[in-house]
Amino acid sequence: MHWLRFAVLVLLATVLQASFFADLNSKPDLLLILLVFFAVHCDTSDAIICSFVIGFAADLIGPTMGPQMISYGIFGSALAYLHRVIAIKQIPYQIIAIFITGLLAGSVACLLNFLKGEPSPPKIIAPLFGIALYSSIVGPFLFLPSAWWMHIRKPGRFGRR
Amino acid sequence: MAWKHITVSRRMLFVWFMLAGFIILLSPQNLTNKFQFAFTRIFRWPLSIGRNISLSAATRKPLKDKDMVSRNEHERLLNHVANITQQRDVLYEENVKLTKIRNKPAWERAGFVPADVITVSVDNLHGKLIINRGKEDGLEKNLFVLADNSIIGTISDVDTHRARIRLFTDPASDTAVRIGDANWIMKGCGNNQAKVKMLKEKVKIGTKIMASKRPGFLGTPMIIGKVVRCEHNDQPLLWDITVEPVCNIKESDSIHIIVMNPSE
Repeated sequence: MHWLRFAVLVLLATVLQASFFADLNSKPDLLLILLVFFAVHCDTSDAIICSFVIGFAADLIGPTMGPQMISYGIFGSALAYLHRVIAIKQIPYQIIAIFITGLLAGSVACLLNFLKGEPSPPKIIAPLFGIALYSSIVGPFLFLPSAWWMHIRKPGRFGRR
Repeated sequence: MAWKHITVSRRMLFVWFMLAGFIILLSPQNLTNKFQFAFTRIFRWPLSIGRNISLSAATRKPLKDKDMVSRNEHERLLNHVANITQQRDVLYEENVKLTKIRNKPAWERAGFVPADVITVSVDNLHGKLIINRGKEDGLEKNLFVLADNSIIGTISDVDTHRARIRLFTDPASDTAVRIGDANWIMKGCGNNQAKVKMLKEKVKIGTKIMASKRPGFLGTPMIIGKVVRCEHNDQPLLWDITVEPVCNIKESDSIHIIVMNPSE
């Protein structure tokens, strides 16, 4: 795992998310896409570290610190373990993985935000659904440049430790 | 010296990170905000570039007629007129009531701190800005913020050189507003909108909504938004109104923070 390249990629995604995509109503979540990418393409131990680090980056540009680190950590790790059983190689599977991870991680983050005392919007489902949908559409197309940047070859089925 | 290779099981790795996450989650907000402000401070330059690209992507038609003004300028002037009219009415009332007491007009006691916007986040879930002014510029929590002569929100967190503004449309925001002769609480609902619920009378669409004055923070009512929808509440004879800002917050480059009774 090239950790320096990983850091650059995550920082780039965080800055883009906080500036370029910040004031769009319907937008993909670049960090969610990276979460699924690393869960699918990395060794399970590395995937766990990547999930929590990406969650921490998402918290840096979010309303409060902590909720996304926990939710991304849980669902990134779960996806990495799931990938050991069911290979998420093909684009339709990747789309479904991003969509479901986006919905679940977003819901848990909102719940944790609420427990921390941060009020959530009255209609939370529609924005969460929108972000998950846009991310799942854009995500697979960003996997290729991300794999090139990280010097990762296509994962073989069950070919991970 | 020989390095000892440390191996950590996946389960322990996960538990440690979860523990770290919960420690961060349960830490006081003013402590964890420092991480967010540090990120904004370090990456201020790329964040500004990203925002400028985003702004320039929104095409603006050049005005050909020199007697015409842009829509933003028109809205800014309309807000100014609404504020002046409101100030005139308040001063008139004060003048009638307190003719014998010398009273300094509210705005003479106020200072305006200009600030540049670093990042804007206005979407369905949040409404917040981060600006390049902080405690060293005299800012503190709950101060009101102006853009194009209208109130857009209040300061929610302050660092030494940075501050976060919670827009009145943010779901966590409650703002006292004046409708008719009564004060009401306007709650943000995301998506650049806020709501005032259970009004006793129907309000016309387009009606200007004023933020109520708040001693120490806002000396006189100021325009905050306009009514875009008025619909029946679940209870009969009551109305809910939806309010939108009277300026384009996403395109506001510079804003002003109202500091009442500033130290010279």
